[in-house]
Amino acid sequence: MSTLPVALVGGRRRRASRRRRMLALLGLLVALAFAASLMIGHTLYGPVDVIRVIVGQDVPGASFTVGDLRLPRAALGLLAGVAFGMGGVTFQTMLRNPLAAPDVIGISSGASAAGVFGIVVLGLSGPAVSLVAVVAALGVALLIYVLAWRDGVVGSRLVLIGIGVAAMLDSVVSWVLVRASQWDLQAAMRWLTGSLNAASWELVVPLLVVLLFAVPVLLAQARPLELLQLGDDAAAALGVRVERTRLIVIVSAVLLIACATAAAGPIAFVAFLSGPIAARSVGPGTSLLVPAGLVGALVVLSADQLGQWALGTRYPVGVITGALGAPFLVYLLARTHRSGGSL
Amino acid sequence: MNAPENQLVVERASLSYGDRSIVTDLSLALPEGGVTVIVGANACGKSTLLRAMARLLRPTGGRVLLDGRDVHTIPTRQLARRLGLMPQSPIAPEGIVVADLVARGRHPHQGPFGRWTTADEAAVAAALEATGVSDLADRPVDELSGGQRQRVWIAMALAQETSVLLLDEPTTYLDLAHQIEVLDLLARLNAERGTTVAMVLHDLNLAARYADHLVALRAGRVVAAGTPADVVTEDIVEEVFGLPCMVVADPVTGTPLVVPR
Repeated sequence: MSTLPVALVGGRRRRASRRRRMLALLGLLVALAFAASLMIGHTLYGPVDVIRVIVGQDVPGASFTVGDLRLPRAALGLLAGVAFGMGGVTFQTMLRNPLAAPDVIGISSGASAAGVFGIVVLGLSGPAVSLVAVVAALGVALLIYVLAWRDGVVGSRLVLIGIGVAAMLDSVVSWVLVRASQWDLQAAMRWLTGSLNAASWELVVPLLVVLLFAVPVLLAQARPLELLQLGDDAAAALGVRVERTRLIVIVSAVLLIACATAAAGPIAFVAFLSGPIAARSVGPGTSLLVPAGLVGALVVLSADQLGQWALGTRYPVGVITGALGAPFLVYLLARTHRSGGSL
Repeated sequence: MNAPENQLVVERASLSYGDRSIVTDLSLALPEGGVTVIVGANACGKSTLLRAMARLLRPTGGRVLLDGRDVHTIPTRQLARRLGLMPQSPIAPEGIVVADLVARGRHPHQGPFGRWTTADEAAVAAALEATGVSDLADRPVDELSGGQRQRVWIAMALAQETSVLLLDEPTTYLDLAHQIEVLDLLARLNAERGTTVAMVLHDLNLAARYADHLVALRAGRVVAAGTPADVVTEDIVEEVFGLPCMVVADPVTGTPLVVPR
């Protein structure tokens, strides 16, 4: 027992070091994308000016542009990306199906429909809209879960039911928009296409608070969540309290998705894309929560830069992620159909 | 009833899914350090019984005792350190390599921050060694054959280092040679580690060969329990499986061998 097989230990070290390297790389890329979002714009500011603004010094010109415009925008992109990435991969892992992302199975649609309904029909604004959206997203998650339940939940059945529910909710959105006035339409648009244009500290701070609560809760469940992938019985036999874990994980993930949607709109496909990209970079067999959060932030920040400056006209970030994500969805559908695989 | 040599005792348990009753008033005991095999026709409640023994299902009546204590009063993790279960069709996450899957068996032994210790590494190494899959440690589980995969799942249960191991049809989907390989492995583990083994098997002849203690179920009730020689008789087989047969001595092991008429 005292001598361990060298190959076994070596293999574990190798996989762990690949994971650490990729996490460091992703972290670095997120930091670079964040920095670029602060520096790049109509006026370019160097790192020194940006840092001076962040630490609170008064820099003529830069203080307003960087401090009041770019910083909240970049912060919103970062936080929304992390929220979408982590929330998405949680669902994908728990249901063992990459298609079970909240933006595919109607949870994001639930938040959008409720948001639009709240603005146009109920005349709500501000935090009330967010609250309605969060409650609706939780309700939709519960509804899909109950409808998919038959002696346990199978990922593929839940995905199909979720797609149906998403279609119904999207038609609710269309119906509400037809009735909307010009003015409401403006406010409602944020709930339909993801965009960081409205970024302000009033949007960033509540999202940050939710993340500070939900992310640690989710990370504490990383291991039980991994074990749930083996099937409910196998997980329970390994000492996981299955129903409790599932409840905690679903509520935290829905909270992340709904609040990020409230702040930045349903930035298309970020929740869906982040998990598979993270799985391909850090390798299988470990928790994808952190890498998927980083990938989400990276995708949102870079897509926003791309949409703003690379294409002549300024496009909202959701248009870019949608254009990139849709082909990936088709690819995954085609591949999953062949192999029936998971992440 | 609760003799010290019986490690896991089912006491007058009634089991049901919703309002569908599967098992009624069933009592059963697993001798410590023995191999118990549960047999019966399809849908007789074998798997349900095993799930209840592993605390995956709460009895509507009666109870399940592990070393004299009701399993439902034992904290989940603590129970998982003493009682392991290999379900009928566990799912391997895509791309996971053998060593990482087997390492998941260590979960109940790890602290809240999940630090990987030398004890964990040693348990995984021993489990891989015992099941003969050490050479596959770095291979993705998806790429293995059915027999290899089954040994990997058994390795995961071994890494859990429990004194009781329950297996739900560990030989399903395997060809005969691999069935024998898996059962030989379990018999060896039982002999070497003294693990109390209980499993559900479909094949009555294999059950008779490998069991110390055989339990025959029909419609959620124990029809007979005892040594294979006591249980595998022409009358009981006919009663349990509805199959007219002859019972002869297995020319290799001398255990009862069922030959359908």
